[in-house]
Amino acid sequence: MRELILFGVLATTYLMVIAKRMPALIRGFRYQSFFLFLITLVAGYTEKQINLYFIALLILVLKVFIIPHVLNLIAKKISVEENLGLFVNAQLSLIVALALTYCSRVFSETLGFGMDYRLAAITVAFSVIFIGAFLMISRMKAFAQVTGLLVMENGIFLFASFVSGGMPFFVEIAVFLDVFVSVIIMGLFIYRVNKLFTHIDVNKLSRLKG
Amino acid sequence: MQIFFILGIPVLLALTALLVKKQRIFGILNSIGYLVVLCGSILLLKKTVLSGGVKLCGDFIYLDALSAFFIFVISVVAFAAALYSVGYIRKDIEKGIISEKKARVYYILFNLFCCSMLFVPAVNNLGILWVAIEMTTLISAFLVGFYNSKESVEAAWKYIIICSVGIIFALLGTILFYYAFSLSGGTRSLNWSIIAAGAANMDKNILKVAFIFILVGYGTKAGLAPMHTWLPDAHSQAVSPISALLSGVLLKTAIYAILRFGIIIIKGVGFAYFSNLMILFGMISLAISCGFILVQKDLKRLLAYHSVEHVGIISIGLGIGGILGTGGALLHVFNHAVTKALMFFGAGNVVNKYRTHNMHVIRGVINVMPFTGFMLFMGAFALAGMPPFSIFISEILIIFSAFLKGSYLVAFLLLGFITVIFGAVVHHFSKILFGNSPKGMLAVKEPLSGKLAFLFLFVQICAVGIVLLFIKKDLAWIVQKLFQG
Repeated sequence: MRELILFGVLATTYLMVIAKRMPALIRGFRYQSFFLFLITLVAGYTEKQINLYFIALLILVLKVFIIPHVLNLIAKKISVEENLGLFVNAQLSLIVALALTYCSRVFSETLGFGMDYRLAAITVAFSVIFIGAFLMISRMKAFAQVTGLLVMENGIFLFASFVSGGMPFFVEIAVFLDVFVSVIIMGLFIYRVNKLFTHIDVNKLSRLKG
Repeated sequence: MQIFFILGIPVLLALTALLVKKQRIFGILNSIGYLVVLCGSILLLKKTVLSGGVKLCGDFIYLDALSAFFIFVISVVAFAAALYSVGYIRKDIEKGIISEKKARVYYILFNLFCCSMLFVPAVNNLGILWVAIEMTTLISAFLVGFYNSKESVEAAWKYIIICSVGIIFALLGTILFYYAFSLSGGTRSLNWSIIAAGAANMDKNILKVAFIFILVGYGTKAGLAPMHTWLPDAHSQAVSPISALLSGVLLKTAIYAILRFGIIIIKGVGFAYFSNLMILFGMISLAISCGFILVQKDLKRLLAYHSVEHVGIISIGLGIGGILGTGGALLHVFNHAVTKALMFFGAGNVVNKYRTHNMHVIRGVINVMPFTGFMLFMGAFALAGMPPFSIFISEILIIFSAFLKGSYLVAFLLLGFITVIFGAVVHHFSKILFGNSPKGMLAVKEPLSGKLAFLFLFVQICAVGIVLLFIKKDLAWIVQKLFQG
């Protein structure tokens, strides 16, 4: 069961890598967060911890519904072109993503995470983190940066929940709120960038140099 | 007890800013508030140095001499910035750059920003520490993009994205620390005081990897090269009092976080590992900033790269270690904070008057604004490391300790870079301070609150330098006390 959900997380990450348009990317993030919700729910069920149910609920509300909704809302409001502007095309991106997954595997082995399902989980977590970073640097639109950051955040959450059964409860809550606030603020800045520059292509933000 | 005042007053002031309509009155109120915060921090420092660390609110807040020292540095610069803001914001309103309403927003953000920074050294839990540092980024991004020009919004965007990514890696590092700690014993905790106590039994390999993530993550926020790229943009575009806060103390809060993890690493893995990494990053910062300072045209970017250099020196000092090295580095934290704040205030006045950042256009500041010009003149020498100013003392301490430890290469490179930067700074500032001022530029009267802020900082720059020249014994004693934490 857990392996299946983990596979889902990885698959949705690849889905985001090949997405060429903003709605597809945001949808990918929504699916990934949903799998994260499932994993936390299952963990809560097996470990019989009420905290985990609460966190799962938080994921469902914040990451599956509110944050993608906010992103869609901003996208609609500024009504820029929907293409993400890929510096690296979809096929090549997928190859890079596969390579990153392999690297994560090697990395988690060197960290000494044994050979059971936990190794797979840590591998998936690291791949999500690295692929999120890759999404940030290989896409032109400011939206991809925000989504990439959220993907990295998801990876970290996955890592934390498998490596040590999650962080202490109130830290987890604080991190969630923090992520939520940062998405709102980044959304505001995307809005401002669009108003001033009439585009949100980050590669064209090059007035400050030296 | 004092800590509740220190954290409470900025929140209270932020709320008051919502109510008070007259900006002038609120500005003065603000300064008084931060004077109280400063007094509180001095009392706190005294208490922790004399009687050791205290825990409050059931382990949530942990204060030892180290955190009290950082709170003290933050409140010194915050007080100066509050004082300087009074005149600065009034001028902006008079010129019609910002409205009264926006000035109110400025004061609210200013207070929230200070509160989040003061919170960082007070908190015990490493996860909450991460949240607090991310909060400082999110709040100050608005202050960087405050003028809403193309440049400032671009700077704010880069700032928020680069720092958020950087800090995500720090979260990963924090989780790895947590993991290593939960492996070593039965208990699970993210509280620094508990983890540091059990550091010796933790898995060395995981700690090593974790510290690299921490160093890259918080190093981004601290402005260590090559992760410093947000820094010159943000510092040059922010409102000038905020530039002073960013450069003077925001970077130091990240240094504080690195230091906290560093203490665990030193106990768990050994000093050599920590030392090598810190010296490596410090050297890269020095080398990169040195090049950019030499060819810089923009006044505020020059100061920003200077911050990269000083963060590099601090990190080298921490890397060399020992009482002299660490003491020098901590002293440098304070000295750089006050000196750089002074310089950013001066640069703010100059930029306001000349309406440009370009150092080829700015000429004859000393004729147009005698007071600011004089302060910039002294500040430039202080910043470059001339005796008897305080930065000289801390730099010489760090170089001494490098020689004593036998790391001649480090000492040699450090001296070389400092010399080149000294030349560059004196060259740049002599050009903008002297020479013929542009035609039609009349001498202006400067606001009293601005002058007070300058004098407050300048006294500290001189006093610390001169006092320390004479009492070397007490210094060692204070550093030893700081170390016990």
